[in-house]
Amino acid sequence: MTDALLRTGVLIKHNIVLRLRDPGQLISYMVVPMVLMLVFKPLYVKALDGSTLEAVTGPLVMFSVFALAIVGNSILLEREWRTWDRLRVTRATRTELLLGKTVPVFVALVLQQLVLLLYGCLIIGLPVPGSLLYIALAIMVWGFTLLAIGSALATVVRSRGDLHLATDLGSIIVSSLGGAVVPVSLMPSWAVPVAHFSPGYWGLTMIQSAVRGDVGETLRCAWVCLAIGAVFGVFAVHRLSRGWGRSRLL
Amino acid sequence: MLEAAEVTKSYGEVRALNGFSLTVDAGEIVGLVGHNGAGKSTFVEIVSGLIRPDAGTVTIGGRDPARARSDVGVCPQHISLYRPVTVREHLRLFGGLAGLRRAALRQEIDRLVTALRLGEFCDRPVGVLSGGQQRRAQAAVALIHRPVLLLMDEPTAGADPETRQALLEVIRDRAGEGAAVVYTTHYLPELTELDATLAVARAGRVIARGTSVELLDKLPGEVRVTFADEKEVCVSTDDPTGTLVDLLARADRPVTAVDVRKPSLDDLYRSLAVDDD
Repeated sequence: MTDALLRTGVLIKHNIVLRLRDPGQLISYMVVPMVLMLVFKPLYVKALDGSTLEAVTGPLVMFSVFALAIVGNSILLEREWRTWDRLRVTRATRTELLLGKTVPVFVALVLQQLVLLLYGCLIIGLPVPGSLLYIALAIMVWGFTLLAIGSALATVVRSRGDLHLATDLGSIIVSSLGGAVVPVSLMPSWAVPVAHFSPGYWGLTMIQSAVRGDVGETLRCAWVCLAIGAVFGVFAVHRLSRGWGRSRLL
Repeated sequence: MLEAAEVTKSYGEVRALNGFSLTVDAGEIVGLVGHNGAGKSTFVEIVSGLIRPDAGTVTIGGRDPARARSDVGVCPQHISLYRPVTVREHLRLFGGLAGLRRAALRQEIDRLVTALRLGEFCDRPVGVLSGGQQRRAQAAVALIHRPVLLLMDEPTAGADPETRQALLEVIRDRAGEGAAVVYTTHYLPELTELDATLAVARAGRVIARGTSVELLDKLPGEVRVTFADEKEVCVSTDDPTGTLVDLLARADRPVTAVDVRKPSLDDLYRSLAVDDD
C-alpha cells in the first residue's frame, strides 16, 4: 500500500512538472474568458434583467470545455513521445498510472473554474454563492466529466491536428448548444430540445444552480454529469490500459 | 532467467511470431539478430509484458512477464523520453517507480551518470540533446533499477562511436554482475564485442542458436588462389586447409598469392537471417 502511494506520488509529481513546463493553454483558457466576461457583461445584464450569472458562468463553462484540449494533449503527448508504454513496463499498476496522469490535469481543470468564479465574484459582480460546499461539488463533478471526455477523446484521435479539430469544434458545439453563449431560453426553438443532449447544458445548469443555492437542481445535474463522465471514463480507462501497441489508434 | 517456448503472435493477417523459442541464462548476453520484420521487437514487447502472446509461454525467473516487471529493464528501439524533462528527472522518475528512494536512488543515478558519461547534459531537457545523448539517457532509464533481465532493442541505432562504446561497456558490466541480456541489433560486430551468443530470427522464429564459433563452423569458408597470369580460382569449402593443399598440388602454373577467408558474422547473417527471396 505504501509503495503504491509512493509510486502514485512520484507519477503525480512528474505530471505536475510536465504541466508546469507547458502552462500556455491553461493560462490562455483563464485569461480569454476573463476578457469575455468583462466585454459581454453589459449585454447579459441588459438582456437578463440585471443578472451577472450568465456573464460569468457562460464563458466559464465554454472555456472549461475548451480545456478538454489540455486533457487530450497530456495524453496524446505520451503517445507522441512513446512514453506511456515505457511507464507500463514499470512496477506501477494501471490505477497508479491513470491516477498519476489524471490528478494533475483534474487539479488544473478545477483551478481554472475556481479562478474564473473568483474573478466573477470580485470583478464582474457575481453574488458570492451561499453554499461553498455545493459550488465545490459542482466544480469537482464538472471537472471529472471534462477529464473523462477529454481522456476518451485523446485515445481515439490519430494526431494533434485531429485533437484540436475535435476539441475546437466540440467545445463550440457543446458549449453553445448547452446555453453557454446564449441562454437556452433565448435559443431558437429547434435548439432547445437539443440542448439536453449536450454535456455543456448539464454542466452549466449545475454550476448556475449551485451559485443560486438550488441544492435539488445542482444534485440532479451532478448525477447526469457523473453518468456522462462514467461512460467516457470507462472507455478511456479501457483504451489506456491496453496501450498504443502498433495500432494507429490508442 | 528467460524462457520462451513456441510463442506465436499475430497482428490481423500478419503473423509476427510463429513458434518463437528462446532461453537466456543469468549472466548471458544473447544477440538476437534478424532482418526487419523477423519478430525481434514483438518478442521484446511480449517479454516486457506490453502485449500478450496468442499462444506459447514466456517466463522470467519462473514468473509471467506481467508479474516480473520489476525484474526487467527495457530499452526500446525508438527514443521514449519526455522532451521537456531533464535526464536526471527521468532517472528519478523511473528509479522512484522501481522503489529506489533517497540515498539509494542518488547513488544509482551517480553510478549511471559516470558509467554512461551523462554528466555534462544530465540536467538538460531531453528535447535539446543530440541523438547520441538521448540514446545514452534512454539506456540509463532501462538500467536505473538494476534489472536482472535487460531487453535492449537496437540501443545503439544511429549512435555515435562514443555512445556505442559507453553502452556496450555498461551492458557487459551488467551481464558480468549476473543480468541476462537480450540485445537486438543489425550491427553484428557489437555482438563480438559483447561476447554474445547468437539467436538468429527469421519469419517469427529462432532458426539458429549458439555461440558465434559454433554457428560459423557450420558455414563454408572461401579459398582464393591467384596465379602468375593473374587468373584466380575461388572455391567455397567446408575444409579450407584440405582444399588449399589440393589446389596447390594441382596447380600447373606458378602461384603468386593464396587467401583463405573464414566466414564472418555478416556471412552468417546473410545465410540465415535474410529471406531467400
